[in-house]
Amino acid sequence: MLLGLALSFMSSMAWCVLFNVPVRTILAGGIAGMVGYIVYSLLPLLNAEVLLSTFVSAAIVSLLSQFMSIYLRVPSTNFSVAGIIPLVPGSLAYKSMLAFVNNDYVEGITLATKTMMVAGAIASGLIFGISVVTIVKGARYAGKRAQ
Amino acid sequence: MSSDLVMDTCLLAGSIILKNGGETYRTEETMARIAQAAGMDDVNSSATPTSIILSFRCKGFDHTRMVRTPTRTTNLNKITLVNDVSRRFVGGGITLEQAYLTLCEIDQKKPLYPKWMQHLAAATASGSFAMLAGGTWLDLLPSAMAGLIVNLSIEYLEQFVRMKFFTEFSAALLGGLFALLVVTIFPELHISIIIIGAMLPMFPGIAITNSLRDLLAGDLVAGVSRGVEAMLTAVSVAVATAIILSFMR
Repeated sequence: MLLGLALSFMSSMAWCVLFNVPVRTILAGGIAGMVGYIVYSLLPLLNAEVLLSTFVSAAIVSLLSQFMSIYLRVPSTNFSVAGIIPLVPGSLAYKSMLAFVNNDYVEGITLATKTMMVAGAIASGLIFGISVVTIVKGARYAGKRAQ
Repeated sequence: MSSDLVMDTCLLAGSIILKNGGETYRTEETMARIAQAAGMDDVNSSATPTSIILSFRCKGFDHTRMVRTPTRTTNLNKITLVNDVSRRFVGGGITLEQAYLTLCEIDQKKPLYPKWMQHLAAATASGSFAMLAGGTWLDLLPSAMAGLIVNLSIEYLEQFVRMKFFTEFSAALLGGLFALLVVTIFPELHISIIIIGAMLPMFPGIAITNSLRDLLAGDLVAGVSRGVEAMLTAVSVAVATAIILSFMR
């Protein structure tokens, strides 16, 4: 578990370097990746499905990057792209490719669909986080107009 | 305020954002905000991943210009800097001339991290992702090396092969061949883990994230075209992996 934390932190920071994010936000990007990984690996202990845990952790990464972007005054893409890396369904995609190569098309399509579902869960988690912040902003704007 | 300078500043800011992997809605919003803060009326901006159009009305005359952005890389630092400049200009902290000069400076900037550091980062990312995907300590080094090879070949092949997707395909093929070689020499390693780690530097994370944000912001054309870009990358990597796996049988 501790090893997983260190590894997710490392890989998210490495992605930050690959994407040339500003120096002062590298650490925050690593933290976003680590928090996402913590949630992603803790939820299955509470009997959550893969899709649910992926969705929740992507949403938390997205929310966290929105808050950090407000706090550090940089665009939130800086954190969210690195933060979702530990959630990427790499082994599922690999297994589906393996099935296709072994002419097991049914298994391949099953696994490919699963991969797509997990990718969709990441996407909807990201969207959820963005939408929540937009709603809060919109509510504040509406409140100001009502006065 | 001269409308030419406003136009130049807006288009420069927009093309820097678009060239370096920013979202389309951010491009449009930044240009519109700068133009409005400079006192232009009837500002309209439109961006797709390959082109920007901006039009506004200044003292009874309409001005419209369009620029194309043929090459795209990822440099989030420049986007942050442009964001900063536009925020300061809109807030009244700097004049238009200062903003334009700063933007020119930003456009000329080299990547923040040197090449070797980027390659090292790709190796670190691959190695740690391979461990996260269930590898042992033994798999760490080979997958880091495979990730390094993938990133190096993307960089050098890009100079010969002008097509982005074929570059990615060949890089994935080279990384996979290295994994195959390592596993043939040391049979106790897991080839699946090494390949999963090696393919990670090509994961189109930024394209997917941006396409989603564009779709959410209502830019359907930009969102869909970015999504297709991400999917083409994923497919070229998948086909390369499939070819490697068929050698293994």
